[in-house]
Amino acid sequence: MLSRADNSATFAVGAALAFFFLGGLLTTVVPPMVDKSWSRPAPGLKKYTPEQLKGRAIYVREGCWYCHTQQTRTLVADTKRSGWKGVDSPISTPDEFVYDTPHMFGTKRTGPDLSRVGGKYDTQWHKTHFRNPRDLVPGSIMPPFPWIADKPEELGALIAYIQTLGRAKDWRPDQDYEK
Amino acid sequence: MPETSGAGVRPTNAVPDTAPPVHTDTTAKWFLISSISYFFIVGIIALTIAAKFCWPELLGTVPYLTYGRLRPLHVNGMLFGWLLACDMGLTYYIVPRLCGVKLFSEKLGVATAVLWNVIVLGAVVSLMAGWNHGFEYAELPFPLNLLVVVAWVMYAINIFGTIIKRKYEQMYVSIWYFMGCILWTTFVYPTGNFATDFATGVNQANLNWMYVHNAVGLIFTPIGLGIAYYFLPKSAETPLHSHRLSMIGFWALAFVYVWTGAHHMLHGPISQWLQTIAITFSVMLLIPVWAVVYNFFATMKGQWQQLRENVPLKFIMSGIVFYLLTCFQGPMHSLRSVNAIVSKTDWIPGHAHMALLGCFSFFAIAGTYYIVPRMWNTKLHSEALANWSFWFFMIGGLGFFVTLWLGGFWQGWQWNNPSIPFIDTVKALQPVWLVRFFSGILMFCGIVSFAYNIMATVIGRREYAQ
Repeated sequence: MLSRADNSATFAVGAALAFFFLGGLLTTVVPPMVDKSWSRPAPGLKKYTPEQLKGRAIYVREGCWYCHTQQTRTLVADTKRSGWKGVDSPISTPDEFVYDTPHMFGTKRTGPDLSRVGGKYDTQWHKTHFRNPRDLVPGSIMPPFPWIADKPEELGALIAYIQTLGRAKDWRPDQDYEK
Repeated sequence: MPETSGAGVRPTNAVPDTAPPVHTDTTAKWFLISSISYFFIVGIIALTIAAKFCWPELLGTVPYLTYGRLRPLHVNGMLFGWLLACDMGLTYYIVPRLCGVKLFSEKLGVATAVLWNVIVLGAVVSLMAGWNHGFEYAELPFPLNLLVVVAWVMYAINIFGTIIKRKYEQMYVSIWYFMGCILWTTFVYPTGNFATDFATGVNQANLNWMYVHNAVGLIFTPIGLGIAYYFLPKSAETPLHSHRLSMIGFWALAFVYVWTGAHHMLHGPISQWLQTIAITFSVMLLIPVWAVVYNFFATMKGQWQQLRENVPLKFIMSGIVFYLLTCFQGPMHSLRSVNAIVSKTDWIPGHAHMALLGCFSFFAIAGTYYIVPRMWNTKLHSEALANWSFWFFMIGGLGFFVTLWLGGFWQGWQWNNPSIPFIDTVKALQPVWLVRFFSGILMFCGIVSFAYNIMATVIGRREYAQ
C-alpha cells in the first residue's frame, strides 16, 4: 500500500480521505445519535427570551468567552468554586445547553467560570462591575466596559442573559437567587 | 515491500534538484511579502493584548481595542494572515520544483494572493467591529468564510494542477503532506465554519473542537511538515534519512489525528466514552510524531556542525525539537489526571504558542530565509541579522513557553484547592504575565529583524546582483 500511494496521486488522495472520514464520521456524526442527552433539554431549561438573546449576542461580540468558561466539570474543585454560600454546584450536563448557539463552553479560565453565576449577584452589582471591575474586585484584570454600562438597553440585556446561566438546574436552597 | 523505485525515477530519499523549467515565482513572492507584513502588524496586536494582562485599563475605553476583540484578531491574524499565507507561498515555490514543471497558473495564483489579502483585511475590520461568529479559530463572519473557501479551491486547483502534470512519477513526501493538507482542509474548514451553525450545545461544541484540533493537526501540521521535509535536506544539502519512515509518519497522522477533538472537553459535559476515545487516539499521536522527529534527527547525523552557521537549519532543527515537545505535551494533557491540573490554565497558551510559533512558524521562517534570496536571484541582506532574529525568537519564545507552563501549572494547582479564593489565583499570576509580556517584546524584535532583513534583501537586491 505504501508504495502505491507513493506513485499514484489518485490512490494517495483516496486513502487520505478514507482515513479522514472514518475518524471524522465516527467522532462527530455518530455520538449525537448514540447519546440522546445531547439534544434532549433538561426539565428546567427555558428557551431564551429576545432580551436574553440580545444579551447573549453582546457576550459573543465582546469575547467574554475567551476568559470565562461555562462548564462545571466533574472535578470536586469545580463544584466547590461554582458553588455559592456553602452549597456545592451540580456538575454541568449536556441537556443544560441544548438552546445554546454559538456554544460558550470556553477553553480558558482567566476569569472565574460562569456556568452557575445566574442569581449570585444582583443587577446593581453587575452595573457597577461592568463600568469598572476593579471597583468591586480589587486585583481583577477584567477590561472595563463603559460603552455597555452607558447603554441601559445593552446593559439590561447582558445582565438578563447572565442571570440565566446555570438556572436550568434549580440548585439553590429556597430559591435563594439575586435579581 | 522493498524500498526501491522503478527505472527512470530518481532515488527515493533525495530531494529532486532544481528542475530545468524557469520558475517566475510571482505567486510565491506575493504570498510571502503580504504574510510577513501581517506577521509584523499582528505582532503589535499580540504585544497589546499581552500588556492588557498587566495593565487592564490600557486602551480600556475604546470598544474596538478591548481584549475580547483584539484576541481573535491576534489568533486569526497570526494563523491565516501570517502562518498559513506564508506556508501557501512556500508551497507555490516547492511544488513546481518537486514536480519538475512550471506552476499550473501564475495568474490564478496571483488572484488567490489578492483574494487572501482581501480576506485578511476584512477580518481585521469585522473582528474589531465585534462581528464575531463565536467559535474559536472560526471567528470570521459568514461572507469571509465563503471567500476563504473560494480562495482554497483556487489554491487546490493550482497545486493539484501542477502535481497532475508532474514529470517525476514518484512523489516526494512533501507532496503528500501538501495534498493531505489541501484535501483535509476542504472538509475540516466547513465543519468548523458552516456545519456548526446547524447544531447546538454539546453537539455543536463537538464539531467545533473537531475543527479546532484539526485546524492545527490537519492544516498547519501537514503543510508545515511538508515544508520542513523539503527545506531540511535542501539547506543541509544531505539526503533524507528514510523515505519509508516518512511514509509511516504520514499515514499514521492521516489515521490518528481526526479522532481527538473531544479531548478539549475532558471532564466537561460530554459523554465519557467519547472522552476516552479522544484520549486513546491522543496518546497514539506519539507514533507519527516520533516517525517524523527520528527521521529528521537521523538525517542530521554527521551534519550537526552545520548548525553553527546555517540559519535556516537552526530554525528547522529547533522547530522540530519544539514539535517533539508540543506533541509530547498534547497526549499528556489528554490524560485525565494531568488534564485536571493544566486544562483551562495559562499552561495552554504556552503549549499552543510552542506549536504555532516555536514549531510551524520556525519552519516557515526557515523556508522564507532559504527561498527569498533564490527567488530574487540575490544574497540575503545580512546573515548576522538573520542569526540575531533566530536568537530573539528562541529566547523570547522559551521565556514565553516556560513561564506560562510554570505559571499555568501553579495556577491549576491553586484552582484545585477551593479554599483559595479565585481572585487570589489571578493576583498570583501577575509576575508570570509580566515576564510573558517582556518575552513577547523579544519575540517582536525577532519579527522586526526577520521582516527588515527580507525587505532589505528584496529592495536592496541590485547591490548584490551578479
